[in-house]
Amino acid sequence: MYLRLRFILTQLIIYIPVFLFSQEKLISHQLAVQIKNQTRQLSTNTDFQKATTFFLQEEWDSTLIYTGKVLNLHEETTKLSNYCHFYRGFSFFNKELYNNAEHELLKIPDDFDFHINVFSKLGSIALEKSNFEKALSYYKKVEILFNEPNLSIKVNSIKDNIGLCYFHLQKYTLAEPYLIESVQRYEEFKDTLELIGSYGNLANLYYEQYKDDAAIPYFLKAYELAKTTNNSKAKKKTSKNMAIVEENRKDYPKSIKYYKEHMQWKDSVNNQNKIYAVAQAEKKTAVEKKEKEVAVLKADNKVKIAQRNTYLYSAIILLVMFGVSLYLYREKVKRNKIIQQQKEDLDALNNTKDKLFSIVSHDLRSSVHAIKTSNKKLISKLETEKSTEVNNLLQNNSSIVNNAYTLLDNLLNWALLQTKQTHFEITTLGLHTIVEHVAYNYTAILADKEITFKNTVSKDENILADRESLKIILRNVLDNAIKFSNEGDAITIYTKNDDSEFCQLIVEDTGIGMDETTRLALLEDTSLLAKKQHENSIGTGLGMQLCKSMIKKNNGTFSIESELGKGTKIILSLPKK
Amino acid sequence: MEQIQVLIVEDNQEQSEHLSQMLENHGFYIAGIATNFQEAVEMFHYKDFDIIIIDIFLNGRPEGISFAQFVDVHPVKHKPFIFLTSATSRDVFNRAKLTKPFAYLIKPYNELELIYAIENAIEKFYAQEDSFTAEEENAVISHEHLFIKKGKSLKKVRTNEIIFIEVEEKYCNILTEKEKFVILISLVKILELLDAAKFYRTHRNFIINILKIEEIIPKDNLVILEGNHKATLSGKYKDEIINQFRTLK
Repeated sequence: MYLRLRFILTQLIIYIPVFLFSQEKLISHQLAVQIKNQTRQLSTNTDFQKATTFFLQEEWDSTLIYTGKVLNLHEETTKLSNYCHFYRGFSFFNKELYNNAEHELLKIPDDFDFHINVFSKLGSIALEKSNFEKALSYYKKVEILFNEPNLSIKVNSIKDNIGLCYFHLQKYTLAEPYLIESVQRYEEFKDTLELIGSYGNLANLYYEQYKDDAAIPYFLKAYELAKTTNNSKAKKKTSKNMAIVEENRKDYPKSIKYYKEHMQWKDSVNNQNKIYAVAQAEKKTAVEKKEKEVAVLKADNKVKIAQRNTYLYSAIILLVMFGVSLYLYREKVKRNKIIQQQKEDLDALNNTKDKLFSIVSHDLRSSVHAIKTSNKKLISKLETEKSTEVNNLLQNNSSIVNNAYTLLDNLLNWALLQTKQTHFEITTLGLHTIVEHVAYNYTAILADKEITFKNTVSKDENILADRESLKIILRNVLDNAIKFSNEGDAITIYTKNDDSEFCQLIVEDTGIGMDETTRLALLEDTSLLAKKQHENSIGTGLGMQLCKSMIKKNNGTFSIESELGKGTKIILSLPKK
Repeated sequence: MEQIQVLIVEDNQEQSEHLSQMLENHGFYIAGIATNFQEAVEMFHYKDFDIIIIDIFLNGRPEGISFAQFVDVHPVKHKPFIFLTSATSRDVFNRAKLTKPFAYLIKPYNELELIYAIENAIEKFYAQEDSFTAEEENAVISHEHLFIKKGKSLKKVRTNEIIFIEVEEKYCNILTEKEKFVILISLVKILELLDAAKFYRTHRNFIINILKIEEIIPKDNLVILEGNHKATLSGKYKDEIINQFRTLK
């Protein structure tokens, strides 16, 4: 029995604070007026003004939203933020989010205009959280400030609460005077709702001390009084208290009646929770919206950064690609140049080769063939011992062989020149000696053809040239001069010193000469094999080409002066020493 | 006058015959014909010669160059040599050039080119370039020999055999024990090149071989030389000559 009673009482106690606070939920008229006055000049911030308005209208959710906006989005002054925290503390309290409320209120410093309200609220919170000693300390602070002017709290409810605290701390003797005083005061002010609470408290005080006889009348008083009001919560509480009391007195039918009443009122109370849920959802959506916005902005930023990076990277890549392609292009151009050069070289070599082949196939073949037939004749003549004819044939053979040899020599030199394999060294040369040396080979043929030969080049005449190539040039020139001279003609080699840098070596003959077309054809750089104009002489133009190429290599020039029937002058200009 | 002695290094018999024929035609003496490196080195040591003609390719290898290198660095018997080759290839030439040959002879060559090459080699060897080729001179002088160009040929005269030299403008009349001849050379040059220990000036245009003096007659300003040749002794050079002898008084 005892145990059971304790259990029920504990239940009771839990209900009592809720009961009590319903009395303080409303903002007192005094407080509202003071807040209005204080905030009017505080800020023009519309959100804050709205927050204030909603606060005074006791629209807790809206208050929370707007204060939240003020705190989050604006750089508010400390005073403004104090108000905001104050509003929020009240709002949370009234929405029964006590931890949040306490958190908000603790942010407010002691010099705040309504610090007394803050303490009282903190006290209420502590009470709600059943931390009675803490609550008591807050309320004591408030009690000290009772004599301040413009007191905007209900003194009664504070006293009431102090009493309650003592009660819960089981300091019943200390609690009793406070609770009795509070009952008396409420009776005096005819504040019905508060009176119901006070009666309840006092009843509980006695009931707790097992002073049932003193307690039950107060319970009844509270119940009766609640009946006269429209407050469903009060009715619910008082009926429940009565039900428990009757139950403990074992008067079960009465208890059931009270319980039924209690259940009836309880239903109406439940609706309030829904409202709170709605507000919470509203807040949630607002926060979500904000978060979404932030997320969108973040995403936007990300996209922008990504875009910028993309531009940057693509610019770098393009630049690199441009550089690479430029490099590759230049390499390609270079390679192309090399290839072009190689192609030209190959073409030239191929030309040389073709020329060599055509000469070998045609001229060399025909001269060897001539010897072959001539030799056959020679054998038959020897058999018949016709010595004069044998002699003539031998002479003929010798001349063919000589020509063929010259041709071969030129071919070889030409090939060596084209392939740049030959030794080439420019030195100082005595022109007279060179001419003598070259002409020496032709002594016999000159005598045979009865051509007068004169070398009037001075022994002091020195030029700069490569010895062997100069000899080849002279050999060819002299060869031609003899070839195109008839019996009794004259060949003269002499120098002319008109220029200070070049020595002109002239090979002059009084032979058959050539027409202008032939002359130009010979001088033409690209002239290929010239058609034979003179029957019994091997003329390929190769000798002339060779001369020109070699003269060029010796830094000299080559020119021809000729008149048909009168003779030819070959003029070689060579750098002097 | 003596013949110039030539040592030939050539593996091809036909070619060496052709070459020696040509040389002999022009009054040269063939000191020997070597056909490979080994033979060439042997002949180099035992034969007496004035010049070597070396074919670069011996038996298909450029042994001629090796032999030339051997000659080039020989400390005692340093003689001029000529390269004979048909190859005008740049590589071979560049290799040959390193041995500092005194002339090249490219096949096919004619007599003139051959003689010219020999002349050139001797000129270069004794550092008297343009002595044979220019118009003014026709002799190269060493301490032992006088190389003289005679027509298309080349001769040598031992300086020891010279009794006196008489200078006549650009000519020098040279008298030896056996003969008398003229060379084209200036007095200044001949004095500079002749062995100063043997040859002395006795007169403005008179150079005598001091070893050929038989008698000096200071009173008559006369020097009696071998073969009873007389040379005038002018006062300017008198003391110098007399000081060369210990005179009995």
